[in-house]
Amino acid sequence: MAILKDIAAIAKGMSITFGEMFKPTQVENYPDGPGPFKGAKFQERFRGAHVLQRDENGLEKCVACFLCAAACPSNCIYIEAAENTEEHRVSGAERYAKVYDIDYNRCIFCGYCVEACPTDAITHGHGFELASFNASNLVYRKEQMLAPQPAHLGANSIFNQAEVEGGTPSLPAQGA
Amino acid sequence: MADVNITVDGKAVKTPAGTLLIEACKSVGIEVPSFCYYPNLSLQGACRMCLVKVEKMPKLQTACTTVVAEGMIVTTDSDEIRQARKGMVELLLGNHPLDCPVCDAGGECELQDMTFSYGAAESKYIEPKNHREEQQWSPVVFFDRPRCILCYRCVRVCNEGMDVAALGVQNRGVSSIIAPNNEDHLECEECGMCIDICPVGALTSGSYRYKTRPWEMNHVGTVCTHCGDGCKTTLGVRRADTGMEIVRGDNRDKSGINNDFLCIKGRYAFDFANHQDRLTQPLIRKNGQLTPATWEEAFELIGKKFSAIREKDGGQAIGVIGSNHTTNEENYLLQKFARVVLGSNNIDHHRTADFPAFAAALRGRANATASMRDVYNAPAVLLIGNDPTEKHPLLAWQIRSNVRLHRSRLYVVNSQPIKLRRQAAGFQLIPAGAEGAFAAFLAGEDAALASLGGSKDGWTALRDKLKTEENLVIVFGSELREGDITALVKFGSAVPGAKFLALADYANSRGAADMGLYPDLLPGYLPVAEAGKFHQEWGGIPSAPGLSLPEMAESAKAGKLKALYVVGANPIARFGIDPFVFSKSFVVVQDMFLTETAVIADVVLPAANAYEKSGSVTNTSGDLQLVKKAGEVTGTKGDFEMIVRIADAMGFDVRQLVPFGRGTRADMGQTRGAQSGEADRHAVWLEANGLELKMSPFDPMAILDEIQRLVPGYNISRLALLSGNDQQTNFAASGPAVAQKPELIVPAADGLFRSGTLGRYSHTLHSVMENKDRQPSEEVAAD
Ligand code: SF4
Ligand code: SF4
Ligand code: SF4
Ligand code: SF4
Ligand code: SF4
Ligand code: FES
Repeated sequence: MAILKDIAAIAKGMSITFGEMFKPTQVENYPDGPGPFKGAKFQERFRGAHVLQRDENGLEKCVACFLCAAACPSNCIYIEAAENTEEHRVSGAERYAKVYDIDYNRCIFCGYCVEACPTDAITHGHGFELASFNASNLVYRKEQMLAPQPAHLGANSIFNQAEVEGGTPSLPAQGA
Repeated sequence: MADVNITVDGKAVKTPAGTLLIEACKSVGIEVPSFCYYPNLSLQGACRMCLVKVEKMPKLQTACTTVVAEGMIVTTDSDEIRQARKGMVELLLGNHPLDCPVCDAGGECELQDMTFSYGAAESKYIEPKNHREEQQWSPVVFFDRPRCILCYRCVRVCNEGMDVAALGVQNRGVSSIIAPNNEDHLECEECGMCIDICPVGALTSGSYRYKTRPWEMNHVGTVCTHCGDGCKTTLGVRRADTGMEIVRGDNRDKSGINNDFLCIKGRYAFDFANHQDRLTQPLIRKNGQLTPATWEEAFELIGKKFSAIREKDGGQAIGVIGSNHTTNEENYLLQKFARVVLGSNNIDHHRTADFPAFAAALRGRANATASMRDVYNAPAVLLIGNDPTEKHPLLAWQIRSNVRLHRSRLYVVNSQPIKLRRQAAGFQLIPAGAEGAFAAFLAGEDAALASLGGSKDGWTALRDKLKTEENLVIVFGSELREGDITALVKFGSAVPGAKFLALADYANSRGAADMGLYPDLLPGYLPVAEAGKFHQEWGGIPSAPGLSLPEMAESAKAGKLKALYVVGANPIARFGIDPFVFSKSFVVVQDMFLTETAVIADVVLPAANAYEKSGSVTNTSGDLQLVKKAGEVTGTKGDFEMIVRIADAMGFDVRQLVPFGRGTRADMGQTRGAQSGEADRHAVWLEANGLELKMSPFDPMAILDEIQRLVPGYNISRLALLSGNDQQTNFAASGPAVAQKPELIVPAADGLFRSGTLGRYSHTLHSVMENKDRQPSEEVAAD
């Protein structure tokens, strides 16, 4: 009798297993899922790797005011400012960030930089695959964080394309 | 003046009659906001920010123009006052751009501060703002009109402080604008005082604009390395690929002898440090070519060569030339190195004034040298020779301010109609070269009148007038040498409280002379021949006078001078020496650039400049000040370290050269607290008590100990020096000196926009000069 009892128990268990097998998945299908995030899903407010935004003309929004660097509690933003000229215009204002580095060894994703930015230039994207075997890869340069050109400007936009080696990244920065 | 009693916000204030209300409030720590008021400038009453309530007066009063009166009862903060100030800020912001994130003033802008304190969060104006493109007025001055709040500080400082009057106001009322004197550009002295004084970001500086932000820099207080006046400057530095780059110079904190003054060279001409031609690697001549080498290689070679020559031909076969830009410690060390390690008195420098004669004349007289501060305070100033506006901008500023603010009487005797004559109570034109005759005449030699020209009565009247001046400061240029100086001092001794100031041209000319960069003088003007404390301290140093700079060239030509060691000098260009005379000598040059002298060298060592090291310098009036390391260029070394390393490579015990590791009485066990913060505080305390640990042979403070102990006149308070104060050295206990040949004095060919080798490598000075050349040389309002 005992054996029948066991079989019944297994059958009951397996019925749940087989029943669930054909239902849609509940957990995230990372990293085998579709899309740029490979199935990972995020809340809107998730603070991932930073994205430096452009304005509607494709110019960089960052004006190198250094306020993000001043606000950053882990002191991980490094900026070198330079002046825009008629021939070489990178941002909408007088000044732009010639160098803009964030050191992800130190960043704690607190979002203070985003709060501080007067031009909404720096934002948190959803990039999260930042792990690296080499700490120096974790110092992201401006080119890695810059948002792609707005689609309506097309691939041949006169703005700033040469600055970004190999064109702008097609995705928000994903980590090296 | 009698004191007046007033009440400010319930506090009783006692202040001299005639004080402005705003200053009276400041004296008890009550800040009244202001834009247009600036101490020492004329009153403007333009911005109405300083409104306060004075009882019994119907309307709010401007504290910056109201003079205190007995019994005044003042309120500086109330709803009514806040409302008024808020209204003023709102008006100012009416057409003000939202530029703060890019504006150079952002972070240290007075308008930002006021807006934070009083500003309205929203504006009642909806009209579009009136934009104007930024204008470039000169290579160093830019103007962004919409940011201007029309406080007229720039106009007043240029007009009153600088006596240039290159800025003015166009139009009236709301359409007033600040404008340059020459249509669309400035024709001026390019001092940048207007930029410095501008409370907002309307006037910006060509060298600093859009580069960084105030809080992103480190700020280091040090001393300008150009002319001999020794302005204190705060350098803003930031990280760069090659070390630390200097991006800004100013003296906003008004510390030091110069208040907030800096001329163009102090404010902008630090850029030579980052010139692309800067040497960053030692060079050794191999197969006739200067080839990059390592430091070890270079020191080893120099040590070997110097030792061999000293052994074989003796110290007199080696010559040493020092610099007018290196610190006192380096100069002292260099002459000690020459005398003790090389065994040679062949040491000299480029002289620009006859300090030995000056020291000898003032020997035994206390309080006889005038400091830069005295020039600002003295009731009367006599200026003989020189053109301070061009060559000593700070001195000129001090004199102008003194005349303007203290109604001091200025007497100018010059062979040119120099600009300072405009401030002079008496100006006398004399034939070129007659400055000495004037000194002789003052001393009572009426025969000297013959070479002065003019009427005898006029000259005698001037002399009698000068004799009645109390506390007269007598400033003279390098036109006066030897006996002229003695005569002048003789005259001065008849004038009660008279003080003297000799003008030399470079940042540490006075220090080089005081530290004994002379073939026949030890530090403190002691003759080498006289057995004295230096002979005792240093042991067997040669007591026969060595060769002066031209004599070294002669000796090299004759094949007798086998080695030449040049530290931060360019004798080939300055003295027009034929470079081939040194073709058989082993020449070592320490410099920043491949100068005319460096190109003929066998070894060139890349040196740091005065902004990249610490130590002390003495300005032309004998004010000793501390220099601190601000910038850094990777691959260079300070001259101090190089001298020690060469001595070491020669097998010399460097402890005999630099007394480091001595005199430390601190308990090492207790200097390190549990936290690093404690340790730091302790180090500060040690420094303040003269107990700093001089642990390294490269520590200039160890040599400063020796200087203070041995060099007469340098025994000043170390604590005051380390705190960044200037202190006067003097000649009262100097040695008797030795008469010098006057032709050895070669004044620098510098002007307002020129600064020897440093100036040649400054892009800013070049762009200013090119700009001047391009403009037609018409007569300007500025003279
Ligand atoms: S998220 Fe925080 S720690 Fe990271 S860069 Fe921004 S301010 Fe710095
Ligand atoms: S990202 Fe924003 S806050 Fe940071 S420098 Fe650029 S504009 Fe300023
Ligand atoms: S002047 Fe001051 S308030 Fe005006 S934009 Fe510049 S920082 Fe802002
Ligand atoms: S430019 Fe600056 S200093 Fe001159 S009036 Fe305007 S705000 Fe004042
Ligand atoms: S006056 Fe002389 S010391 Fe002062 S900033 Fe100008 S060059 Fe430098
Ligand atoms: S400070 Fe008094 S009116 Fe400007």
